[in-house]
Amino acid sequence: MSNNKYKILIIEDEANIRSFVKMILDTNGYQVLTAETCAQGTAMFLSHTPDLVILDLGLPDQDGQEFIRTVRTDSIVPIIVLSARTAEQDKIAALDLGANDYIAKPFGTGELMARVRAALRNSRHSAASGALPGGTFTAGGLVIDYDRRQVCVDGREVKLTQTEYNIVALLSEHSGKVLTYAAIARVIWGGPDPGSTKKLQVNMANIRKKFGSRPGENPYILNELGVGYRMIDGE
Amino acid sequence: MKKARSRMRNVLILVLILAISFGAVILLQELCSTQVLAPMIYVLAVFLVSLTTRGYVWGIVASLLSVLAVNFAFTFPFFEFNFSMPENLVSALAMLFVAVTTSTLTTRIKNQERMRAESEKEKVRANLLRAISHDLRTPLTSIYGSCSTILENYDLLSREQKQKLLREMREDSEWLIRMVENLLSVTRIDGERVSVVKTPTVLEELIDAVLLKFKKRYPQQPVEVEIPDRFISIPMDAMLIEQVLTNLLENAVFHAKGMTRLSLRVFTAGSRAVFEIADNGCGIPHERLEALLKGYGEKGALPTDRSKHNMGIGLSVCAAIIKAHGGELQVESSVNQGTVIRFSLEMEDTESEQ
Repeated sequence: MSNNKYKILIIEDEANIRSFVKMILDTNGYQVLTAETCAQGTAMFLSHTPDLVILDLGLPDQDGQEFIRTVRTDSIVPIIVLSARTAEQDKIAALDLGANDYIAKPFGTGELMARVRAALRNSRHSAASGALPGGTFTAGGLVIDYDRRQVCVDGREVKLTQTEYNIVALLSEHSGKVLTYAAIARVIWGGPDPGSTKKLQVNMANIRKKFGSRPGENPYILNELGVGYRMIDGE
Repeated sequence: MKKARSRMRNVLILVLILAISFGAVILLQELCSTQVLAPMIYVLAVFLVSLTTRGYVWGIVASLLSVLAVNFAFTFPFFEFNFSMPENLVSALAMLFVAVTTSTLTTRIKNQERMRAESEKEKVRANLLRAISHDLRTPLTSIYGSCSTILENYDLLSREQKQKLLREMREDSEWLIRMVENLLSVTRIDGERVSVVKTPTVLEELIDAVLLKFKKRYPQQPVEVEIPDRFISIPMDAMLIEQVLTNLLENAVFHAKGMTRLSLRVFTAGSRAVFEIADNGCGIPHERLEALLKGYGEKGALPTDRSKHNMGIGLSVCAAIIKAHGGELQVESSVNQGTVIRFSLEMEDTESEQ
């Protein structure tokens, strides 16, 4: 078999979920490793250095967050967290610890594959472009010119305030990834003070208005209710 | 938080009642020029404090303070403590006795009330569980049967037959997912005096999330949307309200036969945001409506046609969620004209920040 396939590590204790996730990844041309516990997952991670990790948070030996904490000390490998629907706090904690994305159980395979592709594309992207943003970002009809600090939607320039631009630019630099309210506030205002989420939401409402978005037709910046925002993938 | 508030409340009651008694005794002394009434008034005060506060502590504190007050201010020698006189000690003991017995009685009554409410809640829950497990069995039977059919007759079945079975399995699983989402909501709201955890949620983002999900499930069904232009933030459990709106829109798709228009409208009325979901479908007959809103509370009220997409549970869950948010789910429906479902939520005051 060819060796240039992406390696994906699945850490999930439920055998049936592991099995169908492995099957769908296998058939889509990824090389798949599986682990059942946090400890096993960590060992597999160290010996095989996968390109992506799909992590269940509720593992038998330890909380999946421990895995994120361990791995994030010296690796930027993308991590997609599988979480229960009701646990916003767990999602936020996992994202703030450095997980790249989350997907709520039960999930469809189409959704999972889209997230996997986005995460892999992003990691390749950031590895190539480095920390300094430059050039342009394009996603559908949205174009951001970082050098001129200019944003265009469907060919029409959108006049943003400085804060609004900073938010849009930040989301675009992490496109495809959910940024929590606190994470965004930390970058934009230098720390999540009590009012910062509200400030962010008000700014975001203005951005949506300027982008011409309407409820249900909000194609560029997706709401993750109660968690944060995500910009759709760049091209 | 809650404990601190209840303590504050108890302290207030204590101080208020004792202050009033003090004033009353002084007044009565002026009016009737007698000291006999002071201990009586304070016994009454101790009784009231024990009655209105929780546990023994406040009653006892009140009785001790009353003893001191009576001893200090209203018995000879005036404005001096004197514990050597036996009648002072006796009155002190009497007040303590009143406090302890009243507290014991009220605590017992409160416990009984709580137990009754608890058992009521249990009954509702048991009914709900029975109904739900029945409803879970139907799609599970079909999924189980279809899988087994495919596995055991793999070579006998045509490609089309297999695909049909698999598609039905997916449909049934999707139905199960929605059912479980509703169940989770029921566990999140806990009986009548629920306290949902509310976080300020931007109205536009909520509606966006609801519509996005709805469009994914029913791409064929257009929804007319109308929401206020200004920034509105509403404290709520966003996941639960999202579920209410999704349930209501889905109900229309499943049940409003002949529907050509489905709309979701939000407008403000005073300090509240009013949500309104309307369809022009077949409407709900009056006698069925009550049963739907009650959910599975009474067995006789169950709708007899157990179609697979019987979302009656959905409506009762919605009503419970809205109630937990301090609102009420109102349903107006007329047969062959359509249904309007309305509820309102208190908005956050954002004027000052705008």
